[in-house]
Amino acid sequence: MLKIFQRLWQVNWAEQWQYRANLIMYLLYWLVSPVIYLSVWTSIANSKGSVNGLTANDFITYYLTLLIVDQITSNIVIHTFAYKVQDGSLSGELIRPIHPMLTNALVNNIAFKALTIMGFIPVWIVLFFLFKPDFSNVSLIGILLSIPAMIIGFFVGFLLTAAITSLAFWTTRVYSIHEFYYALMVLFSGQFVPLTLMPKIIQDIAQYLPYQLQIYFPIQLILGKLSSAQIIQGYAMGMIWLVIGLVIFNWVWRNGVKRYSAVGA
Amino acid sequence: MNTLKLLSAFLKVNIQMSLAYRTDTVVNILLNIMWLGWELLSLGIIFSNTETIGGWGFGELIALLGVFRLIHTLMIALIWPNTEKFNQSIRDGSMDYTLLQPINSMFLVTFSRITVWRIWDLVLAAVLIVVGLNMAGDIVTPLNLLSFLLLTVSGGVVIYSLWIVLIALTFWFTKFDNNVTILQALLDAGRYPVTVYPVWLRIIVTFIIPIAVATTIPLQALRGDLNLSRVLIFLVVGIVSFLIASQVWKAGLKRYSGASS
Repeated sequence: MLKIFQRLWQVNWAEQWQYRANLIMYLLYWLVSPVIYLSVWTSIANSKGSVNGLTANDFITYYLTLLIVDQITSNIVIHTFAYKVQDGSLSGELIRPIHPMLTNALVNNIAFKALTIMGFIPVWIVLFFLFKPDFSNVSLIGILLSIPAMIIGFFVGFLLTAAITSLAFWTTRVYSIHEFYYALMVLFSGQFVPLTLMPKIIQDIAQYLPYQLQIYFPIQLILGKLSSAQIIQGYAMGMIWLVIGLVIFNWVWRNGVKRYSAVGA
Repeated sequence: MNTLKLLSAFLKVNIQMSLAYRTDTVVNILLNIMWLGWELLSLGIIFSNTETIGGWGFGELIALLGVFRLIHTLMIALIWPNTEKFNQSIRDGSMDYTLLQPINSMFLVTFSRITVWRIWDLVLAAVLIVVGLNMAGDIVTPLNLLSFLLLTVSGGVVIYSLWIVLIALTFWFTKFDNNVTILQALLDAGRYPVTVYPVWLRIIVTFIIPIAVATTIPLQALRGDLNLSRVLIFLVVGIVSFLIASQVWKAGLKRYSGASS
């Protein structure tokens, strides 16, 4: 089993390494909107002293941490998998004794991540010197607590997007469905602004949704802003959504593959 | 005259193409409305915490959103689909046939695909601009309106020219098929007045990838923030960038050698 993973890693790493020029563009793409939001909110915080108790430094540390967390928890499975269902190249993968999504696509995603993180470190350091954040609130314990949270966040996001991607077995409009899913992510994850600045109703809903597990919860853990009750609640939500994600994905996948073979025959 | 005829032929073909996918069009329009709702909500959240950002009020930011959507439409209705086709044609050599046509190749490459339903975005943009300005209560003189319109067109031309240069680079570096991503990535910076950005970012979006020239600056003209000489300078910038772009395109074409050779 370990050997299979090792091989898959080599193949996927080599595949991603081919596209290293694209990587720069990807980094830029993913960098711009957090930097824009950072600028908007620090400009407001600077002119008013603080926004709802958040100072300019709070916003800077929030978005700089967001860049790291988002890098770790996000995935690109919709872009690397949906087309395989549509053009039929999935057939070859289905006959192999490994799971196309939970093994191959997963390792592919992690290889992509490993590569982008390599490119990302120098960029982040440049941003660090441009914005000069004061990270004195960050403690080792916060960082240690955030690591399992980010891993849970990644797997929750991966399973849910994998389930949405698998809708490609039924419809060609899977990208539109994913766009809708992504819009909810923008609204409920804390990507645009720390959730405490969102309308009350959105905050109330957000804490029960999986989106904040990928962005807001790990960030707040790192920045040391959560009480122990909130930390326990966050982890509990994480475990619940992990189970929900697994169940949904398995169900969609199993029925989808059945359909796929029916169509292909 | 020929150009206009061609353009209307392109439009017809593209309308027919999109009619084949009616449900997709409806779905896309719904998604579009959803994003507009999000954009307005995000502005609402910002302005529930402050009265101005970078010296601009709520109404003015809505008008800016309208101007931004004009450029966004240019990007999504024209730049993306044509770039996709262009990159494909470089890879498989079908660019040869484009060059054989007795028409300006730059025009052919940049206008043959149009995502027609996106044109409704332009209406939406106009509504946002009018509503936003009304909310802001700015008094718009005819001269300001005229310079706004001219600068919007000129800003669009600047973006168009930059696009030409970026895709023309593919003639030199065949593998450069991420050519417009940089434009798309920085486009979002056009949503807010550049005055809120740190200096380095302001320099990038004004001079290097001049998104601001097409968003913040036309609106500044509308508010009467720009004097006449500034307006003229930006108009000249539009014309000059177009001239440069067509030269780069011509030079690039000379480098083109087909996919097989």
